[in-house]
Amino acid sequence: MTSDRKMAQTTLEQRPAGGHRVSQWALAWRRLKKNKVAIAGLGIVGIFIVMAAFDRLVALYPPKCILGVSPACQLDGRLHSNSPPGLAYPLGTDITGYDVYSEIVYGTRAAFLIGVGATGLTMLIAVVIGLAAGYFGGWMDNLLMRLTEVFLVIPFFLLLLVFLQVTIKLAPANTGSIWLVVFVIGAFSWPGAARIIRGEVLRVREFEFIAASRQIGASSYRILFRHLFPNVLHIIIVLATLQIAASILTEAAVSFLGFGAPGSNTWGQQMYNSANYVEQAWWGTLFPAVFVTLMVMGFNLLGNGLRDALDPRLRE
Amino acid sequence: MFLVPVFFGITLLVFSIERLAGDPVQLYTALNPHINEAQRQLLRQSLHLDQPIHIQYLSWLSDLLSLNLGFSYSGGSVAVLISQRLWATLELQLIGLTLSLIIAIPIGILSARKRYSVLDVTITSSSLVGTSIPIFFLGVAAILIFGYNLHWFPSGGFQSSDPSRYLYHNLLLDQAWHLFLPATVYTFAILAPVVLLVRSSMLEVLRQDYILAGRASGLSERSVMYKHGLRNALIPIVTYVGLYFGGLLAGAPVTETVFNWPGVGKLFVDYTTQLDFPVIQAVVVIITLMTLVANLVTDVTYAYIDPRIRLE
Amino acid sequence: MPWILGSGSSEVSALPDPLLHVQNLRTYFFTYAGIVKAVDDISLDVSKGETLGVVGESGSGKTVTAQSILRIVPSPGKIVDGTIEFEGKSLMKLREKDMQRIRGKDIAYVPQDPTSTLDPVYRVGEQLSEVIMRHHVISRKDALAKATDLLRSVEIPDPEIRISQYPHELSGGTKQRIAIARALAGDPVLIIADEPTTALDVTIQAQILDLLKELKNRLNVAMILITHDMGIVADVCDRVTVLYAGQVCESGTVEQVFEKPKHPYTQALLTSVPNLALRKEKLSVIPGNVPNLIEPPSGCRFNPRCPYAQQICIDKVPELEPIGEGRSVHCHRWKELDLKSPVAS
Ligand SMILES: Nc1ncnc2c1ncn2[C@@H]1O[C@H](COP(=O)(O)OP(=O)(O)O)[C@@H](O)[C@H]1O
Ligand code: SF4
Ligand SMILES: [Mg+2]
Repeated sequence: MTSDRKMAQTTLEQRPAGGHRVSQWALAWRRLKKNKVAIAGLGIVGIFIVMAAFDRLVALYPPKCILGVSPACQLDGRLHSNSPPGLAYPLGTDITGYDVYSEIVYGTRAAFLIGVGATGLTMLIAVVIGLAAGYFGGWMDNLLMRLTEVFLVIPFFLLLLVFLQVTIKLAPANTGSIWLVVFVIGAFSWPGAARIIRGEVLRVREFEFIAASRQIGASSYRILFRHLFPNVLHIIIVLATLQIAASILTEAAVSFLGFGAPGSNTWGQQMYNSANYVEQAWWGTLFPAVFVTLMVMGFNLLGNGLRDALDPRLRE
Repeated sequence: MFLVPVFFGITLLVFSIERLAGDPVQLYTALNPHINEAQRQLLRQSLHLDQPIHIQYLSWLSDLLSLNLGFSYSGGSVAVLISQRLWATLELQLIGLTLSLIIAIPIGILSARKRYSVLDVTITSSSLVGTSIPIFFLGVAAILIFGYNLHWFPSGGFQSSDPSRYLYHNLLLDQAWHLFLPATVYTFAILAPVVLLVRSSMLEVLRQDYILAGRASGLSERSVMYKHGLRNALIPIVTYVGLYFGGLLAGAPVTETVFNWPGVGKLFVDYTTQLDFPVIQAVVVIITLMTLVANLVTDVTYAYIDPRIRLE
Repeated sequence: MPWILGSGSSEVSALPDPLLHVQNLRTYFFTYAGIVKAVDDISLDVSKGETLGVVGESGSGKTVTAQSILRIVPSPGKIVDGTIEFEGKSLMKLREKDMQRIRGKDIAYVPQDPTSTLDPVYRVGEQLSEVIMRHHVISRKDALAKATDLLRSVEIPDPEIRISQYPHELSGGTKQRIAIARALAGDPVLIIADEPTTALDVTIQAQILDLLKELKNRLNVAMILITHDMGIVADVCDRVTVLYAGQVCESGTVEQVFEKPKHPYTQALLTSVPNLALRKEKLSVIPGNVPNLIEPPSGCRFNPRCPYAQQICIDKVPELEPIGEGRSVHCHRWKELDLKSPVAS
């Protein structure tokens, strides 16, 4: 018994929290660098980060500037509404007279907010459920996985629309806040990720050092967060990256249908505002859609690259 | 059978969203300001609002199960509204899914076979890009180009509204003409994930020992690839396609709005804007039901193609 | 023997009745991490009716060698160099179509790990008759009858029942017998059996070995028996080729090699088999690991683990040197070392 205990402890100590892991990450980074597609994704995301951080510099006009009317953008003093792309406005103007390009630039922050915010919530739920189901097993696993399956079958996009419309009608005070959209997307998107994390926990749980720490009676909390979590972290990173793309896409679709936060300036909202004029002024609808596509693509390419780099089993 | 509890869970959820949204009679009044107090009383009774909440749910559920979908707040039978549009939804979804499978399977196999080649890298990267292109971009762009600009196809709708304008005075031809652009664009919009799925399933199967053993036994490349490779890869493909179909159905509101396609998705968008709950509930329940049926079909197919879990 | 004249390397010991001649074979895997030199200059010979043991630790390139002979190396692997001659004709030059007629018909393969070598979605009979029909002009019905006979010949009880079962309904030992039956389906002259007993229980191991010996005698078929177990070599094989890190250490008859090993690695292998009856013994008792095959050690690849290593072993790659009596050795110091066999009587 005592020798058992000694052995377990040495196994534990042989696995320092830092050193070994770092080299794993360094290795993954080296693999990622070789993957041109992933680097393209990283580049796209990087460009968008710059756009969001320095939006005033990147944009041509201040936010919500009506070309030809607002003092900050007088131009020739004539309202430029639904004007096709030209020298003063490379991507045209929308019905109100906003510069489509500048408004898109100002929408970048909202896109990150939505993507990262909703993903944060999603991953929080997914990690808790995945870790608990995988680690405790038994009835807990059963219950959580049944719940997950229910959420997988729910047509969540439909409920999202109803939910948002109900709040718009019942609590108009909240109207204009994209946080509600973020919250609802985040609260419903976790089932897929939870299942994958659970699967990974089941695999990792068999590692000897975890069995060992269990044997020496380490607390569940300690095992979960000191040992299991670091070992499924790579999967979480991949899932989160892909989920950012999915959240941005969902918000854009919701807003495009007219269920977004009316006061917000997201790309989807911009598409919705211009959708009625798509025949005369396609640029107002199509260019925000192009940027949604680009950002989603950036995160998807990066996420797939990360998956290949962090999980070398998937690729020789 | 785990489908049954899921179904009831979802009906409960749908029901509670309505009741949480407030007094249905008030919502109804908001949409029909002219109704009088007597009519309101009648409505209150027909919705069993005078009963405790669980009785309300049960009576709502029993109405639902007996296909008594009631009337929308704006008048009109929900059953009629839905039955008029269900076919349009199924038509677009099933054609899109079938065509994308037909196209994706050979491409995915080719990509897996020529792994690491320029062709494979091209297919994989363009599929990755493809998964990121939303239908509201691809669809709107296609309609702008081929509808508004070139006038090759109508810019929306299921058929011409005026019979005298049917293509060649034939309803079927007219419908086909309306279907062509949405079906084609939709197929390409949902193609990319299927290609990636087929490719990864094939790669997984191709590294199995029985594939090597088949090659080592002198079997032809065709037999190795299709009789053994594809046949085994179908098992994960079928599973995934069942799930994927559920996702596609839930996305019907976007798809059908883009193509101005009169299906239940478009119906849902229109009536959700009005918070017309009888319609909302019916559409959610029907789409869930179709998703569950798709899962059931998947399970049955799965058991059929995988002898390891074939039911005795 | 035209291959002797054709080959660039120095004189190769002429065996009677040559069947398979592999020379300077190199098979590399072109992976993300780098080029894995899994087989890097391997030569071996098999005569008609003879059983050659191919021994080496896990990862030494045994399986890749077998796959190379059949030209079924999975991507990203490629045969980059070497000659493979079978019954006097070069397999490397054959078109894929003609190669398919050799696989399973002239040279049969029993893959590693019987649990996964049968397709899970087809019945045993279907899988066997598919191979039979590929190599014989025969009706489906007769092929099924022949499949039943094959199962009988590998001593599977109730072959009529087995024929209509799926692989998941069968035990590991039965699956391995079926894999052997499939190898016999084309009436081959050479069978390559890749670790045919490794994945099985000890009692089943013995039965499978007995079956292989029985088949060898009854059908007079040549065999390459891949194993990491010197005990099996002693039990079943006529000659042996020892591999280390994708290269040959030495070749010779089983008697020669067991009596007088010439390579330090062979000696270590023999040490790890204290009692030939104890087949469970693994090779891992040799200290150290199989080297990284992307950047293998310079000179002799065994030098980091070799107790006799000297500067020359790091500086210079040894030649595979024929030393008479049909033996060859791949070591700078074999002559001066004059190794003792740990198992010699
Ligand atoms: N598909 C592959 N991709 C990359 N490397 C491989 C592949 N197959 C085998 N190898 C490498 O080739 C070497 C020899 O493998 P193998 O022939 O299977 O060894 P053995 O059969 O002797 O155990 C190993 O180092 C292995 O990593
Ligand atoms: S060449 Fe040197 S290192 Fe290699 S086996 Fe011979 S003595 Fe050992
Ligand atoms: Mg092997």
